[in-house]
Amino acid sequence: MTVTSPGEMAIKTEGDIVLVRRTAREVAMQTGFGATDVTRIVTASSEMARNIFKYAGEGCMRWRTSERDGLPGIELEFEDHGPGIADLNLALQEGYTTGEGLGMGLPGAKRLMDELEIRSQVGKGTKVVLRKWKRTLQ
Amino acid sequence: MNAENISVIKVRELLMVTMPSDPDDPTISALQEKVLNAMERHEAKGVVLDISAVETLDSFFARTISETAQMVTLMGGRTIIAGMRPAVAVTATELGLTLGTVETALNVDRALDMVNKPEKQA
Amino acid sequence: MKSRVNKADRDKSSNRVSGDISSNTELLQRLVNTVKDYAILLLDTEGRVLTWNVGAERIKGWKADEIIGQPISKFYAPEDIEKGKMEQELREAAEKGRFEDESWRVRKDGTRFWANVILTALRDENGKLLGFGKVTRDLTERRQNEERIKKQSLEILEMATVPVVQVWEGIVLVPIIGTLDSQRTQQLMERLLNRVTETGSPVALLDITGVSTIDSQTAQHLIETTSAVRLLGAEVILTGVRPSIAQTLVHLGIDLSNVITRSSLAAGLQRAFNLLNTTVTSIPQNNGGGK
Repeated sequence: MTVTSPGEMAIKTEGDIVLVRRTAREVAMQTGFGATDVTRIVTASSEMARNIFKYAGEGCMRWRTSERDGLPGIELEFEDHGPGIADLNLALQEGYTTGEGLGMGLPGAKRLMDELEIRSQVGKGTKVVLRKWKRTLQ
Repeated sequence: MNAENISVIKVRELLMVTMPSDPDDPTISALQEKVLNAMERHEAKGVVLDISAVETLDSFFARTISETAQMVTLMGGRTIIAGMRPAVAVTATELGLTLGTVETALNVDRALDMVNKPEKQA
Repeated sequence: MKSRVNKADRDKSSNRVSGDISSNTELLQRLVNTVKDYAILLLDTEGRVLTWNVGAERIKGWKADEIIGQPISKFYAPEDIEKGKMEQELREAAEKGRFEDESWRVRKDGTRFWANVILTALRDENGKLLGFGKVTRDLTERRQNEERIKKQSLEILEMATVPVVQVWEGIVLVPIIGTLDSQRTQQLMERLLNRVTETGSPVALLDITGVSTIDSQTAQHLIETTSAVRLLGAEVILTGVRPSIAQTLVHLGIDLSNVITRSSLAAGLQRAFNLLNTTVTSIPQNNGGGK
């Protein structure tokens, strides 16, 4: 099975955060991203995975490759059925913290990726989709 | 499994701490305690944190380093981070991660040369 | 697929078959069946697969019994299925007689390949649409070669626009020309940081003598680059800050108090040598730089 075929993995334990990083790294490299973009993708994934573990207890990551204007890209989906985020706008604001410091890393992840899509409902759960495409000048 | 991944060695009057390439959360948390215990035990002047193998520095890792450095400062020591990888530095800057009161060095050799020199003033 | 064979060639042919080779449908069938480099399929009017060949199995991964009866959207990338690409392509082939394009397709195992696809409308003598012929070729390797050449050309171009030069042991220099947008800054940071690490240079000079006017964006990107270089353990000196630039920076409210700046490259080099000679080789992150 090549990693560039779509896949899914569970995020249940603290150790799964490391597995998320490893998987994201594999998929990003196979998609053809350069070293710096791979690091951006892995770092953003790490933040999302830790959110799931910290706030929802468990969830999953799905990945697939995509394409835009002839250039390959990556799409990572992070989903949980946890408490959900009450105020999305606040969570996406730069510098927002939840008291534990550093908040949920959403503004940071948004800066590292090309697109960040988030849907959340209190009591139901949260789904974050991260997307990034290769740039021609790479 | 956790604390054993980090090696802490006394070199001259500094503690040399080497981080593995992709430490899990418990390992990162163990860093703080290990460093502080070793600082006390060896009465070291400071810590050189070798992150040349580290591939990902996310907000949790950065915060732990920053907190550890603050504690080391309170114990009268300095913290020098050595060997950050270019891709990590670029990502950390874009994330806006701050490392607090740490100094940085290109590599472990230069960091160790620091030990007898005063902190860079101006 | 019909080949015109003239009488002379026909006589030389070692394949003795009855009649004209070009009207021998059995040979034609055999040709289609054994060709490995092209997927040759017949589709019904709805785009469902009617026939399959060795080339199709090789290129797309499906076996005949798995795919016959399925629509060709099975080979399309998810984003194309959403856009209704299959319907568009069949419609165009039906209207114009023919459709051709190059785009991504997906194999049975989910991996992608770059395909050249030709759809041909097949009609009976009354002009009624019977179905389509589809010929697909896997051009992934050719595309990879093209991409590699493009990438190398761009790398050469990039080196020309963002050159990082080692001017002395321990000092690298980046002459910046024009403005710095996000993309150029990313290129700059990557190249500069890599060079600093490779050469072990504790000092980097960013020379903006060639920047005619500075805007907020460029200034912020310069500050960002300085932060990143400091994380590595090297120091940045911003040189070539001429009076007009200094005025603009102050008027824009840009805070460069945390960055070492000099009005000329020469003065910057002088400062660089000072830094190297005091062999201060670690850089504090807060209130760094000094002047």
